[in-house]
Amino acid sequence: MYNDLDPLLHSQLRLAIISMLIYSEKVEFAHIKEETKAASGNISIQIKNLQEAGYIKVEKTFKNNYPKTFVSITDKGVKAFESYVNDLKKYINPKK
Amino acid sequence: MENINLTPEESFSIINKAIANFKLNYRETAKVFLLWGWVLAIASFSNFIILKILYSREAFELIGLFSLCNWAVFLLIGSIIMFFMERKLNKEKKVFSYLESHFKNLWTVTAASFIIATFLCIKLEINPPPIMLLIAGIATTTSGLLIKYRPLIIGGMAFFIFSLVATFVTNEYISLIVFGAIICGYLIPGYLLKSAKV
Repeated sequence: MYNDLDPLLHSQLRLAIISMLIYSEKVEFAHIKEETKAASGNISIQIKNLQEAGYIKVEKTFKNNYPKTFVSITDKGVKAFESYVNDLKKYINPKK
Repeated sequence: MENINLTPEESFSIINKAIANFKLNYRETAKVFLLWGWVLAIASFSNFIILKILYSREAFELIGLFSLCNWAVFLLIGSIIMFFMERKLNKEKKVFSYLESHFKNLWTVTAASFIIATFLCIKLEINPPPIMLLIAGIATTTSGLLIKYRPLIIGGMAFFIFSLVATFVTNEYISLIVFGAIICGYLIPGYLLKSAKV
């Protein structure tokens, strides 16, 4: 039986952001921008969506008077990512 | 990157790409091994010279104190450099990975083990090098296994061999065994790690 894929994760940019966070304690906004090559505004919107769903946490700090934004995944985000991957597997290998 | 909907295959491709792009900063890790490699190599060699002088003058009662002071001074120098080096690296860092965090925890526990082992060796009147090399071997081998880097695993195992060898060596030459262990266990893997292509 197919489960509906989590609509929040089933989008190119949001999935790339979550996948990037899964192996890291925290990742700086600038790094996400470098890796995804997406526009800052677009990334900000997607981060806000993921944050509102409780999948990620956003931490704003200052280093040498420059603002820095760090993003990290929450337990809820990890669970959502795991179930998304499991659902994806069912789509690709329906017999398993 | 556009924010469009995906097929399951495309989703997997994005996940795989993000995982493949994730890598430990080998250069940063190498810097730490090279720092401690050089500090401890110099410390063990200077310890050898100090012991050589004290043995030749038959000042046996000063050996323990001078040796302890020598190691304490170099460990303090290493810790100070490490503190500033880490502060600089953290300022520039954009990704804080779990792997780096495990690494840090492993070496913090190892540092605590070195301190406790030193105290135990003094109390039980045991020559510290074999125990210290054993602890260094455990941490270095585990580090190598964590990052799946063979020269570091081999370097860690070299510490085990030097630890056994150290039990057969007496007086000042034990410092040369430590010197050799540091070169094989920290410096050679450190330089290989520095030049490794990730």
